[in-house]
Amino acid sequence: MDIKEIYAYREMIFSLVRRDLKGKYKNSLIGFMWTFLNPLFQLLIYTFAFSVVMPINVENYYMHLFVALIPWIFFSACLTGGARAVTDQQEMVKKIYFPREVLPISFATSQFVNMLLSFLVIFVVLLLSGIGINLQAIVWLPIVFLIQYVLALGITMACSAISVYYRDMEQIFGILSLGLMYACPVVYSMDSVPEEFKGIIRLNPMTAIIEAYRDILYYKNVPNMSTLMNALVWATAALIIGCAIFDWLQRRFVEEF
Amino acid sequence: MDVEKSKDVTIQVRNVSKSFRIYFDKGHMLKEKLLFANRNKYETRKVLDDISFDIYKGEAVGLIGINGCGKSTALKLLTKIIYPDTGIINVKGRVSSLLELGAGFHPDLSGKENIYINASIFGLKKYEIDDKLDEIIEFSELGECINNPVRTYSSGMYMRLAFSVAINVQADILLVDEILAVGDAGFQSKCLQKIAEIKKQGTTIVLVSHSMNQIEKVCDRCIWINNSRIAAVGETNDVTQKYIEYIEETERKKLAARHINTSETFNDIDMKEESKIRLLSVKLLDINDNEKKIWGIGERIAIKLDFASSIDTTANLRFEIMRADGILAYADIYDNCGRGYLLKKENHFCFTIKVLNFLAGKFFVSIYAENGIGGLIGSLTPFAEFDIIDDSSRYGVAKIDCECIMN
Repeated sequence: MDIKEIYAYREMIFSLVRRDLKGKYKNSLIGFMWTFLNPLFQLLIYTFAFSVVMPINVENYYMHLFVALIPWIFFSACLTGGARAVTDQQEMVKKIYFPREVLPISFATSQFVNMLLSFLVIFVVLLLSGIGINLQAIVWLPIVFLIQYVLALGITMACSAISVYYRDMEQIFGILSLGLMYACPVVYSMDSVPEEFKGIIRLNPMTAIIEAYRDILYYKNVPNMSTLMNALVWATAALIIGCAIFDWLQRRFVEEF
Repeated sequence: MDVEKSKDVTIQVRNVSKSFRIYFDKGHMLKEKLLFANRNKYETRKVLDDISFDIYKGEAVGLIGINGCGKSTALKLLTKIIYPDTGIINVKGRVSSLLELGAGFHPDLSGKENIYINASIFGLKKYEIDDKLDEIIEFSELGECINNPVRTYSSGMYMRLAFSVAINVQADILLVDEILAVGDAGFQSKCLQKIAEIKKQGTTIVLVSHSMNQIEKVCDRCIWINNSRIAAVGETNDVTQKYIEYIEETERKKLAARHINTSETFNDIDMKEESKIRLLSVKLLDINDNEKKIWGIGERIAIKLDFASSIDTTANLRFEIMRADGILAYADIYDNCGRGYLLKKENHFCFTIKVLNFLAGKFFVSIYAENGIGGLIGSLTPFAEFDIIDDSSRYGVAKIDCECIMN
């Protein structure tokens, strides 16, 4: 992998991200609002299910859920949608040279920007609900963003490359994503997990990241350092493995289309 | 050769071989790969076999050869779209290719926004694009339309925009694949001019084309690839001459073989693999609707052509009349006033030569169905032939009005 070359193609990454964000909603009725509406609907549904139908005993449950759900949607989009990051652009890949890493990078980046925009809603709700924001905690947020971005990038690299060879992987990633969501404290709290299962839940690369977000935004605490380190190790491992898989598979992309 | 050695080598290709796997029945799904392991049988076909050549800075080199000879693969190897199995390829400098026009265009974004996307794919930075923007817009002749979404463009406008970006990217090496056959005549000559200008600025050009005319106009040197190997390298005219002789020879053999089978129609023309169109019948009719094989100068020929298309698509038709000695006597693109022809399962065309102004000789008629941006859908090559006889003293290519008066 040639990082210098990828850096030389940074304008392409920006262009593709801009194209993705601008083009997606250009012809839709409420345009960019979709970015906010989709997570809001999910929030509504889960809140109904887990605070009305099967109540989970957590104060301000919707907020407890919301700060975890938005990062989760970002992760899940990279896992399932990332599968198409290369195959959707096969016309381009077949006909023109550019460092192939640009495609997963720009996919993950545009999903990341989507998540950042959704965070605006989180801040608004935090302020309106009276929960408020702790400035001492919030300065840690960019670090968590960065760790999650690294993780998402690694996942997107791996998924996008594998899917070129096996097109039905997207379905498998979809099922995997659903399973991982419930094996991660998104809809429930880590405290409610029985002690013997905590170890397994912590094997989920997203667990530490979700806990860090929740510490910062919901509990308004400085995140636990061991949680952050845990998240960083997962993210770095994912990126290294993702890059290795991508590098190994990308040479024969064109011949596989 | 000594002179050339002193020049800078821009592209160095050493002992490069490339094989493709041809799957008999390829499954793309994990399920298929696991369940039907025996379906994954493939044979390897060697497309390039131990190829070596150098291309020097600032020269224009043509790659020629019949379809499937490996020249497009060679071009793809140079762009690093695919990698060689063995051998080394060194390319110095930024490569721009006219292989894919309009890469990354988004239909809902404006022409201007798409320029930024497209140019960035060629590796340009934002400030470089800013600098080039006016030049690109001017070259595309789109004017005010540049701010409209690309989906509102006609195929011609789309092509012009894409071409303008690709050609205005300040590349060290420009790779061109059979692209100059698109656009109207005016835009085409403008493109050729631009390529000459780019060449003058010291850009290295590699051109793949079937038009010997273009190759001779643009290229200093020529590489002829045949059967996965280099058949000849050298001065353009020498190589094209050898190539044309070879083509004539094979065409003659093909025709001879065909004459034994059937003299009336060319029903079993061995179509190129990728051709999506297939000949049904052809008739050459004179002004009284009689079928003829031998014609006189000045006659009218109506070529009634029925062919099948395996896909429904819009296409432009390129007619070519080739004389038996390999001279392209006439070629033109018919695009139905810019709309293209909608090809269906069965298509009936009548191509009329209103006044036959060629001099004596044997002629072959071919058509190529192309999509809006120059990609080949299918071809019938050649699907008909006619002889012109003339008992006067004149010879050459075409009949022109001349007189000689002594004063």
